[in-house]
Amino acid sequence: MAQILLIEPDRRLAETYAQALQTDGHRVRSAAGAQAAISAADAATPDLIILELQLVEHSGIEFLYELRSYTDWQHIPVIVHTQVPPGEFDGSRGLLEDELGVRSYLYKPRTSLRRLLAETRQLTAVTT
Amino acid sequence: MAQKTTPVLSQQLLLSVAEELKLPLLQIAREAERGELGGQTDVQSIRVAADSALRLLDNYALGVRLALEPAAELMPESVSVSSILYDTGQQLDALAKSYGVALELNIGGRFGPVLAHRQGLQAALVSLGAALIEALPAQDSPQLKLQLATHRSRYGIVAGLYANTKLLSNEALRRGRALQHRSRQPLLDLTHTSGAGIFVADAILQAMRLNLRASRHHRLYGLGTVLQPSKQIQLV
Repeated sequence: MAQILLIEPDRRLAETYAQALQTDGHRVRSAAGAQAAISAADAATPDLIILELQLVEHSGIEFLYELRSYTDWQHIPVIVHTQVPPGEFDGSRGLLEDELGVRSYLYKPRTSLRRLLAETRQLTAVTT
Repeated sequence: MAQKTTPVLSQQLLLSVAEELKLPLLQIAREAERGELGGQTDVQSIRVAADSALRLLDNYALGVRLALEPAAELMPESVSVSSILYDTGQQLDALAKSYGVALELNIGGRFGPVLAHRQGLQAALVSLGAALIEALPAQDSPQLKLQLATHRSRYGIVAGLYANTKLLSNEALRRGRALQHRSRQPLLDLTHTSGAGIFVADAILQAMRLNLRASRHHRLYGLGTVLQPSKQIQLV
């Protein structure tokens, strides 16, 4: 059973995704923003982080920089699951993948629950 | 008085509404898919999300119609602000419950009628309230509260929505209007979305020559608009 940290600012979407992940056998903690996510990771290191880039006050990229600044958290796999279309990140895909350790970039409106669950299974099978 | 403009017709606002609509549609699509995968679909959640999308479209369309109306058609009438706030609360109740926001009505003061276009003012407050309810839970603040309230200021009667967490300053609102077409999150301090509900409220109020402004009510932070008292005697 993997520990997932779900960083999703919309409460209703967070509930839907969390329930689906739980049904798939994972333990899920949700955070609406970057600060709460850091606190949650501090309380228990997650096996995988699912991250929306559009957050309030601090962006998902800022969160990733902070996350990777701690030695213990440098290797936690991250799935970016976001409303930001991939085309808008063309210039910084290298940054996301190479520097910030993002393992998968999923555009939320085009990503089914099945796909998200499959990616989660794949990444947690490697890490747990 | 705000200048008469036609911001509701702008492509920026349309883009903002289109972006915002993705959220309730995503909620519906993923919740339905969860049911297909063997989970128990939350039918009420789907209904609230669909209502949310319909409300945004409806208010946007009303804003466009108001902006296209000749000024004579937008003559304000004498209306009870308390009754408009009460109706607004009724319309937002299910959404507030689904987002875990405590919605309160504070219309204790004795205010006479105000001059306003009833349908427009109601739609602006509902649009604003829905946007705030959806935005507040991302603030990492416990026990979120949103109050529909009215008070007297030296400029007139202020009607608005107030929260127990910081919302937007006038400067952030002005910056947000300017950033609407350049940023995916023009109201970054408040919401993770395009903020379309707030911009639609802003556009409706502008079409009625009113302003959306930051406002305080007791110890709460809010957004509201100043209305002029009506000279008409209120019949009780």
